[in-house]
Amino acid sequence: MSQISYGSINDHVVKSMEPPGRSWMVSMVLILGALSMGIFAWTYQIRHGLEWSGINHPIAWGVYITNFVFWIGIGHAGTLISAILYLVRAPFRNSIYRASEAMTVFAVMTAGLFPIIHLGRAWLAYWMVPYPNQRELWVNFKSPLIWDVFAISTYMSVSIAFFILGLIPDLAAVRDESKGLKRFLYSIPSLGFRGTNHQWLHYMRGYLLFAAIATPLVFSVHSIVSWDFAMSSIPGWHSTIFAPYFVAGAIFSGCAMVLTIMIPLRRAFPGFADIIKIKDLEGMAKMIIFTSLIVTYAYAVEFFIAYYSGAKFERALFWFRPFGEMKPFFWLMVFCNCIVPVALWWKKIRTSIPALFIISILVNVGMWLERFNIVASSLAHDYVPFTWANYQFEWAEIWITIGSFGWFFMWFFIFVKVMPSIAVAELKEKMIPPVRKKR
Amino acid sequence: MKKKYSGVWATFEFLDDTCGAIKELKKAGINKITTHAPCARHEIMHALGNPQSRVPFATLAGAFIGFGLAVLIIVKMSLDWILPVSEKPIVSVPIMGPIAFELSVLISIFFTIGAMIIFIVKDTRKQPLPKSDEYKQYNRFLRDRFGVVVTCKTDDLPRIEAIMKDYQAEEIYLEN
Repeated sequence: MSQISYGSINDHVVKSMEPPGRSWMVSMVLILGALSMGIFAWTYQIRHGLEWSGINHPIAWGVYITNFVFWIGIGHAGTLISAILYLVRAPFRNSIYRASEAMTVFAVMTAGLFPIIHLGRAWLAYWMVPYPNQRELWVNFKSPLIWDVFAISTYMSVSIAFFILGLIPDLAAVRDESKGLKRFLYSIPSLGFRGTNHQWLHYMRGYLLFAAIATPLVFSVHSIVSWDFAMSSIPGWHSTIFAPYFVAGAIFSGCAMVLTIMIPLRRAFPGFADIIKIKDLEGMAKMIIFTSLIVTYAYAVEFFIAYYSGAKFERALFWFRPFGEMKPFFWLMVFCNCIVPVALWWKKIRTSIPALFIISILVNVGMWLERFNIVASSLAHDYVPFTWANYQFEWAEIWITIGSFGWFFMWFFIFVKVMPSIAVAELKEKMIPPVRKKR
Repeated sequence: MKKKYSGVWATFEFLDDTCGAIKELKKAGINKITTHAPCARHEIMHALGNPQSRVPFATLAGAFIGFGLAVLIIVKMSLDWILPVSEKPIVSVPIMGPIAFELSVLISIFFTIGAMIIFIVKDTRKQPLPKSDEYKQYNRFLRDRFGVVVTCKTDDLPRIEAIMKDYQAEEIYLEN
């Protein structure tokens, strides 16, 4: 392992931003292929209607709302890492926070598409915004769906602002390392930053405030998303544990996605192995163990309350989930979210890169299934037996889901080539500074 | 006519030399000091006498404005278009919670960004920086070098240069 110095961090980051190689190009072609299919499927659905998704009566919320909750959850880990771990000064945060913040922004951008896709008539999405029309008809503020509009748009604005703010000193560093047109292009977003004491003073104070403000936002956004369900009186949804359960699940899936992204990034740019250490990835693995335990506990509590409360409809639903038509989704979810992370208790597995990568993907699959179980199985088995139904996946929603991954990874791949994917200034801040008198 | 700049700027390889030079300059009664660093270093802030940022006041003001705006929006819109929902009052207080929180956060973030920009520009204007091409094109401040810039009268230049030399500055530039 080479010695890391202030200068070598700049070199590694600048090297990662060199023109893309063949593997990047091939990956991008696959990503754009997936995105194109997603766009085609959505266009087809707009033309022919929502019958091309599996949404039916009574399962009016299906794969799109599942995807919405899934992507919002993914977005949470970025803010957790950039804000909460910043406030508690977690040492494993510095090397991975920039990429996770980018992940947050792109995940929220992806999540924001799904309520619009789910609407069917996407061009009427602006009806959700409280604006004065000629009839002075305002939105219903008592609906948690409106709270969600406020929560998601605030979260997206704050995430983007936080991401851009963190980038300014690093873009300035890239500007100083560049020449010609590249230098000119990077000088625009770096806003004349030169690392003076006035700039660092107000910048660091503002950044700390951002972190302090973003921390409660992490909890509020997913709590509000959970209230989309919990405020209704449907069995399986009307639950007081939903807010903390959703927040823990979001952090769980987000941490897994960080590993899914950081491990290939570390491999793609050889210099990054010196910066993103195994210890940092192990820190994320420990977060996964912790949040997996919370999620497992929440699953168990849901079943216990349904059994011990004696509420007939709750009992029926919680019998339906593991033993009804949707049981494969339930058991696969339990396997991925409760059993697979147990392997991370062993240090050997926690420090093995291939094992971490496989586990992170399985956790993501499990968390998607968790959202699908919550959304679809509760609606499939509510109060009235003659409306009970099953969910049939349709090709349009499958391709739109795959396309959403294409959309997300397209932004991420562009990001790693045009912006510093490692936080240069913060890594330097955490290093022992160059001093003449050795301590 | 353009105001002429006079001052000294020096680059340092080591942080302790930089801090030593800053402390010595302050001891000599020189307060118009600007520093450069590749990252935020609390040692430099200590040497400069722990200056405080006023950004938090703007954040707080933004939070209050956001909260007020949210309450106003909900009350006005609820009364404008009566939407009875179950037994809930037309203007319901609990529903203000999520929206007031989100708008407080949103507006406070905008105020924070605005305040950061304003204060940085204001403080930088108070202490003018060298106008030479050497200074403008020096590109190692965000890589691996520290810098100290002192704005002073022409008579003070030799005295400040001597302090910089004492603390083993790598390069020293006099501008007048």
